[in-house]
Amino acid sequence: MKLVFLLLVCFSAIAAPVKTPQVEAELVAERSALVPGEPLTVALRLKAIPGWHTYWRNPGDSGEPTRIEWRLPRGFAAGEIEWPVPSRIPVGPLMNFGYHGEVLLLARVVPPADLPAGRPVTLRAKANWLVCEVKCIQEEAELILTLPVARSAPSDPRWGKPIADSRARVPVAAPAGWSFGARGEEGGASLAIAPPAGVELKQAFFLPFDEGKIEPAAPQALARERDGYRLTLRAAAQPVGQFERVSGIFVLQEKAFTVDAPIMARFADLGLALALVLAFGGGLLLNLMPCVLPVLSIKALGFAQGEGGLRHALLYAAGVLASFWLLAGLLIGLRAVGSQLGWGFQLQSPVAVAILAAFFLVLALNLSGLFEFRFAFAGEPGGQFLSGVLAVVVASPCTAPFMGAALGYAVLESGWRAFLVFTALALGMALPYAALAAAPGWRRYLPKPGPWMPRLKRWLAVPLYATVLWLGWVFAQQVNFLHEKNDAAWEPYSAQKVASLQAAGKPVFVDFTAAWCVTCQVNERVVLSRDDVRAAFRDKGVTLVRADWTRRDPEIARALAALGRSGVPAYVLYMPGRAPLLLPELLTPQRVLEALDG
Amino acid sequence: MKRILLALVLAAATTAWGQKVGQPAPDFTAPDTQGKPVKLSEYKGKYVVLEWVNPECPYVRRHYNSGNMPSLQKEFGAKDVVWLTVNSTNQSSSEFKTPQEMSKWMSEKGASPKATLIDKDSNVGKLYDARTTPHMYVIDPQGRLIYAGAIDDKRWATEAGTKSANNHVRAALGEAMTGKPVSVSATSPYGCTVKY
Repeated sequence: MKLVFLLLVCFSAIAAPVKTPQVEAELVAERSALVPGEPLTVALRLKAIPGWHTYWRNPGDSGEPTRIEWRLPRGFAAGEIEWPVPSRIPVGPLMNFGYHGEVLLLARVVPPADLPAGRPVTLRAKANWLVCEVKCIQEEAELILTLPVARSAPSDPRWGKPIADSRARVPVAAPAGWSFGARGEEGGASLAIAPPAGVELKQAFFLPFDEGKIEPAAPQALARERDGYRLTLRAAAQPVGQFERVSGIFVLQEKAFTVDAPIMARFADLGLALALVLAFGGGLLLNLMPCVLPVLSIKALGFAQGEGGLRHALLYAAGVLASFWLLAGLLIGLRAVGSQLGWGFQLQSPVAVAILAAFFLVLALNLSGLFEFRFAFAGEPGGQFLSGVLAVVVASPCTAPFMGAALGYAVLESGWRAFLVFTALALGMALPYAALAAAPGWRRYLPKPGPWMPRLKRWLAVPLYATVLWLGWVFAQQVNFLHEKNDAAWEPYSAQKVASLQAAGKPVFVDFTAAWCVTCQVNERVVLSRDDVRAAFRDKGVTLVRADWTRRDPEIARALAALGRSGVPAYVLYMPGRAPLLLPELLTPQRVLEALDG
Repeated sequence: MKRILLALVLAAATTAWGQKVGQPAPDFTAPDTQGKPVKLSEYKGKYVVLEWVNPECPYVRRHYNSGNMPSLQKEFGAKDVVWLTVNSTNQSSSEFKTPQEMSKWMSEKGASPKATLIDKDSNVGKLYDARTTPHMYVIDPQGRLIYAGAIDDKRWATEAGTKSANNHVRAALGEAMTGKPVSVSATSPYGCTVKY
């Protein structure tokens, strides 16, 4: 008899199930023995009688998560509970998240590497749970599981498969090809989901890790969008803390992924009125840009020679307006038919950049007096309209680098809102020149036409030459003609690479950039290439990835859309065990170092 | 500039999402165990505590059996705080208690609220969006909600452990009555579902 007992101890696991009227509880292991130093999955098995349920880590409107307190022998370690996907359990108007019937809550138990073989080991845990039907009962149990120690261990014949099945239902980080982003909405937030190409979503829902963020019982509508899907989440009626991240699990019929997305501000939240004011101000500023100021100054000098008038002003404004509408229409139209474009698209084609560079060169040479042609259309009836068009053409390289972020938001908005934002931008841009043309009073203060005019023109040519150089450099980047001293510290972007690095628990920093984006260039030179910043990246073992959007790239456009951006720059830091962090568009070394230190 | 913009947006977004705490507490009238109507707005000028109760709920029983809830009621009753215990268990639920049963249970437990309200149609519970028993609300003399959520920070405790918990209601009342802002004004309530 004694011998039989010993044999049992040596060759199989012994557990002592605890039974209450509602629940059967026990510890079970995936393998039939402990192997020194090798992690073993141990599960708390709770089997509730029909009609009763236990709870998930966030129990929903009421209830209580099941808890395990391990009492392990010296040298052993146990991980957090890994929770399989729960069910949504409606209770009247409220909602709980939990498990009907049987559930296996998993935990990794790691025995010490020097565990002596031969003597069985007993794992102990105190578990407590709340089990409810209509009534709720708090229960707890002291559970034990005795396992033999061996050099290798086969899968447990009884529990190996159920534990593996349960693990398959534990949400994991989404594999490459999936991306998630969140943005604030009226009354809550929404989760943008970009599945891999060809994947259709029919049913999906989101469950939050934390209480007091979203309303557990609120319906979640899944809507198809251009770049994927969007799930609306209603904010908790009685919020606890700030709702800053959409953090939880995204559940599909077959699988579930963990999601942790910072909630991006939505431009519409500003109110359309404020968006329009900002665009109008941006338009005014455009007049001062180096690519625009010289050209408009020359035109304005024409007023000194008696040109101008209200008709002149209106025609010019109409030209500006029509050109911006054309650009906006082109962008919105191309996105509607599925092109992955964001603001700045006009500089993503090397042909467009080359034409613009040539155009600026002609203007600059003209101002330098190397050859002389009058702006052909000045004074003629259609001429003022065309000078408005010209103004937008010369402004177009400048809107991308400086106003990318603001216009990017507009692009993400619905068609008519984007149109209004572009209109405000156009009116802002047209105003100063049109006002000068319409109100002749100010001309008194101009000196009489004289030799100062050609001299001024020559000086005004300088910023135009600079624009030509810059466009030439962009063009060279696009055609790979001029390899910038290739920075070995950075790896080229692919969604796959970022996802696999993340899955491997490695820190990653992604720089979304473009040669034509001036802000990006400034950030890279002034912040990202500083010695202390580089050293910090090195110390933390961060893989640096550069997503170069100088030319069109649908993969990068999708990744940007998932971040809630439609233009560059964008900077994301993925640190293992922490939520991905979107850094501001204007970087400072302090901000980057802080982000790395967490 | 971008940063200011973002801050503006975040500020707009958070206020738009309506923190219940800080807003006026909606008025209601409900009968006590004697059938006498009790109207919240009659207590304007005093601090009011609303406590959701259900004798069938183990969380509620823990707070009553340990003496925790009755002693809070006594402590703040002495400080002229109006304590209203509300049972919103719907009359259609198997856990519904008649006014007589409720009155008897409360006196057995040594409870001494200003009144125990029988909300048999669950209207007051829905008005306050009460989710659990217990679910606690504190209202200031101006009639504004200054706390909503759990009674304390020990969701899972033995009767003895209940005493050592950090009691959010006591903290909120203590701060408010000494003119300080309430530092923890919203928490996740815990307990059994209100049986609507």
